[in-house]
Formats: sequence, structure tokens, C-alpha cells
Amino acid sequence: MHETVEPLINDEYTGGPPTKRVLARLQEKRKEGRKVAGVYCGYAPTELILAMGISPATLCAFSNGTIEAAETVLPANLCPLIKSSYGFIITDTCPFYGLADAVIGETTCDGKKKMFELITDLKPTWIMDLPQVPDQEEAITHWTAMIRKLQGFLETTFGARATDDGIEDSIRDINRRNAMMREVFEFAALRPAIVDWREMYDLTFLAQGSSGKDMEPVLSEALKKLAKRRDDGYSYGPAGAPRVMVTGCPVGGDAEKVFAIIEEAGGVIVALDACSGFKPYMTDTAEGTGDPVRALAERYLKIPCSCMTPNARRLTEMTRLIEKFRPDAVIDVVLQACHSFNIESHKVGEHVEKVHGLPFLKIVTDFSLGDVEQIRTRVEALLESC
Amino acid sequence: MRAAGLDIGSRTVKLVVIEGGETVLTRKDLTSHDPLEAARALMSGVEYDVIVATGYGRHLLKGHLDCPVISEIKAFALGAKAIQTSCRVVLDIGGQDTKVISLNEGGEMSKFEMNDKCAAGTGRFLEIMAYALGYTLEEFPKAALSAERSEKINSMCTVFAESEVISLTAKGAARSEVALGIHRAIVSRSTALVRRIAPSGEVFFAGGVALNRCVEALLAEDLKRPVFVPPDPQMVGAFGAALHADRSIMKGTSHA
Repeated sequence: MHETVEPLINDEYTGGPPTKRVLARLQEKRKEGRKVAGVYCGYAPTELILAMGISPATLCAFSNGTIEAAETVLPANLCPLIKSSYGFIITDTCPFYGLADAVIGETTCDGKKKMFELITDLKPTWIMDLPQVPDQEEAITHWTAMIRKLQGFLETTFGARATDDGIEDSIRDINRRNAMMREVFEFAALRPAIVDWREMYDLTFLAQGSSGKDMEPVLSEALKKLAKRRDDGYSYGPAGAPRVMVTGCPVGGDAEKVFAIIEEAGGVIVALDACSGFKPYMTDTAEGTGDPVRALAERYLKIPCSCMTPNARRLTEMTRLIEKFRPDAVIDVVLQACHSFNIESHKVGEHVEKVHGLPFLKIVTDFSLGDVEQIRTRVEALLESC
Repeated sequence: MRAAGLDIGSRTVKLVVIEGGETVLTRKDLTSHDPLEAARALMSGVEYDVIVATGYGRHLLKGHLDCPVISEIKAFALGAKAIQTSCRVVLDIGGQDTKVISLNEGGEMSKFEMNDKCAAGTGRFLEIMAYALGYTLEEFPKAALSAERSEKINSMCTVFAESEVISLTAKGAARSEVALGIHRAIVSRSTALVRRIAPSGEVFFAGGVALNRCVEALLAEDLKRPVFVPPDPQMVGAFGAALHADRSIMKGTSHA
């Protein structure tokens, strides 16, 4: 095993689920009188929401525990993330949903779209129509209009206001946050690895709805610790452990079983290429364009979600990550019934194997523990080939 | 030096001991509800210097014997290569898994693909379908081979396919024709995996289902490629594990 070092975030929540830390911070914000908007997806424009003085809260979606309740209404062969989200709401067990004054959703997939219809009467809910052929001019115009409409919804619901200058300031603030996150990732790219994936996940989860100003002290401290680890010659994981990049659907909570299996099989996870990982921090919004909402639309449409077509950006981004993090293998995690990630996996696999010459494995799973041993066999075989 | 390989599969436990490159002992039994006990019974009185475990129960044995483990994919790759040196494609249909492994020129695994996580289209599927039709496992392929035509089985899910078989027999379909349909279903599933991983070359067919002559014949017919079944196809994984154990001794000695 590896020696112990001070965790990158060292507080009373360290070692526990990252949701508790975020919940405590949101409760603080709430006490200060801030409004909270529940979000489900990386397409929700954080910069706009923060510019209006509202805190975005990522809603619960990763527990197997709420799926049984959800299946009283939803079909069993649906994406576990959607079932879990809905289950949390009908059992009233998501504290973030409890805190939220409104909910923002996007039409990323059919399952989510129709699930949103079932919760829309419970709280003020706004669905953004996401264009999915992202490189066309009309898509950008449309998404710009959708962000403006969201602004209108937040104005009516909360009486909140944001000027374009305020949005511009927020863009600069989030760009700074993202730049600092990328500095952290630079350390995660070191060989041998010096960061535990749980630490990276703690940071990516905390930063999701946080402003640059709020993240600055946390990230400065993390960067200092990382520089020290590097200078001290610290390494995380067994010597010579194969480096694994995980790509695909968002992974958190009960789906973290896949990460645990990779580590138990002797691998070390060096890059998290998902919306729950590095994706939200990899691109910046253009500053000083004079039209900050259009700049936001352009930036958000660059998120390479599998719902986009064609989604060549997923592969170019992946190449960037592979070149930086130098993994020995790539694992694509597909949640059951997520057709777009599942089909796209074929292209991703070919790209990883043919362009980068790396072993590749697709895992289709849900949030239950029933397939742990099946996944273990596949992961062990993959890592044996590294 | 005697090197042992133990393959704890979902349906059967297999043990192979090799010495000086020759197999000196093979044993197998049903895994039952207590795989550890089944493994112990199989190993009782067997002498060996080093052992490597593989199969679904490998970590269970590791916990009790503190022995190294390898995945069954690696074990089948090693075993197949040693049995047939020209081998480049391995198809293993076991109790709950179907795997296709392609080997590079050096005999190392270059790519593998497995069935979905449920036991659809595996050995267990065949067992249940044989039972549903009132055949023993020995009668089942013979009956299928005797049929002139086959009923189409659409579902690969064990539970749904059983319902389909019941519907067909209730409509008066010939039992042997339903049997052939089931064999065709399992074969088309496996050949899809083979084509995805290894588009050409002879297929080394192993695992318990390789004992089924009808599956073997239909595979060759469907793939239009030669299919080679080793003499004891169920033992390939345990043999591969024993080879791995043997090589680790050699490595250990050379380091000393």
C-alpha cells in the first residue's frame, strides 16, 4: 500500500461521500439568503445562474436505493441515472432537491425529457431545449435563446437579475476556476501518479456549482499540497500499476463500484473523462465578446456529450487527455439503456485501439452490485494485457 | 516440480497438475452451492508445489490458499496456445460466460470480448433448454443433429426463451426441431462475437459447451471456418493456470 499524505481537501467530510461537503456549503449559502436551483447536467449554464445570485445544486442521481421506488412508475429497462433521480424525488430523499427552489433540466435524452414531465408540477421547473447538431450556426443561435429564456425564468421565479456585465464577470470567474482545476489535473497527469481518484472526484464534485471565488482557497491549498507531493517523490498506488483512463457516462455514488474494481485489480485511475469528472473544466468561455450569453452558448455546445451528432469532439478531446495523462488502458463506462454512449462506444474503442494503440474495454452496468464479479473478470483481463 | 491450475467455474470445478511440461492429473466436479468445498474435495490428496487459481471462484481460493490468481481470459489464452501452437482465436463457452479471445503472433492476448453480463446463450442456457424439452445433456445435441429443419428461437434471454420453447411445443412443434433452433440461436450469438474480434482463421473452441457436437458443427457451418475442439475442452482454463504456475516457478528459480 502507499504511504499516507494529507488529503487535498482536509475537513470533517474527508473520506466520506463528497455530497455532504457540498450540502453543508449550500446550507450556509441558504442561511445567507441565497436561492438554490437544482441542476441535473453539465449543460446548465453555471455562469448565468451564479451571476443571478443563485447557487446551482447538483441533484441526487447515483443511488441504487431509490430505483425500486422509481420502478413503480418508470420502466425497469431505463437508464439507472434517470430512475435514481426520479426515485429520490418521489421518496423525498434528496436533500439538494429539498433545498432547491427550482429545477433546471435539459433535453439531453428521451428518458430524461419524459422523466422531467413527471416532476414538473412539484417545483418550478425549466427545461432547456438542447440542440444536438452543435456545429451549425442555428444551434448556437437557438442555445443562446434558450439561455436567455432560462434567465427570464429565473427572473420571474426568484426576482433575480443579471446584467450582461454581471454575466461577463461570472464568465471570467468560472474561467479562473476552470484554469485552476486544470492546474490540479496537471499534477494528476504525473507519472507515477500522485493523486487518488477520490481526491479528484471530491474536487470536481465540489467545483461543479461553485464560483471561482469560492473554489480559490480550496484549490490553492490543493495545489500547494500537490507540489509538495511531487517534490517529496510521493507516489499513489502500487509501483508500476497500469494507468487507467475512465471515459463515458457520468459515474458517482453506487456506480463508483467500477473505480473500486479497477483499483482492486491493481490499476490506478489517472483521468476521469466524464461530466462527473474533468469534462466541465476542460474548455473556457470567450471573454470580452460583447455578447456574453452567446459566448456561453458557444462554450456549452462544445461539451462532447454523446447526445451530440456528429460528436467528433469526444475523440479529439480524448486524444488530448490520452496525450496528457498517458494511460495504459481506457475503460468506457456505459450506463444501462444509455443508447447514445453505448453506440458511440464503438467509435471510441476504435479510436483508442487504432489511433493510440491502447487496450480498451466497454463496461455496461447499472447501480446494483449484481455484476461486480463479471466486471472484475473483464477488468482483470484488460489489465493483464497492459 | 509439480504445478497445479484450478479453474473454479460457475458450473464445474477443474484441476490440472503438470510436471515437466506433461499433464499428470486432471479432475473435475460440479461447483455446487459451495465452490470452496467443491475445490477442496477436488484437491484432496493431490500433491503440488505451486498452484494458480482462475475462474469465477479464483478470489475465493486466493483468500484461503493465498495463491496467485489470473483471469480466465488469460488462462484460456495460455492453455489454448500450448495445446495448439498456431492458435490465434479462442472461443470459450462456459456455464455463464461466452468469451472470444484473439491472440497475437507471440500467443499473447491482444483483444477479448465477452457476452453481456447475463447467462444468455451460454452453457447454462443450453442446460435449461434441454431440461425444458425433456432431454439429457447427452441426448440434446444428438436430437438436434437428427432434425431436418429448425424452429426459430428469437429470444436469447434464458427465461423468455424457455417461454418460447413452451409455446412452440404447445403448438405441436417437433421436439428435435426446437432443439436444433436452440442450438442455432446459441451459435449465431457466439459467431457474432467471433466475427467482431477475429474476422478470419481457425477457431479454437473450448469450455463445457465445446463437448456439444451440434454446436461445434453449426459453428463451422455458420463461420465457414475450421473449428478445432481440443481433446478435453473443459480443462483448457485449468491447464492454462497450471502453465502460469509452472512458469512462475521457472521465473522464481532463475531469479534465485
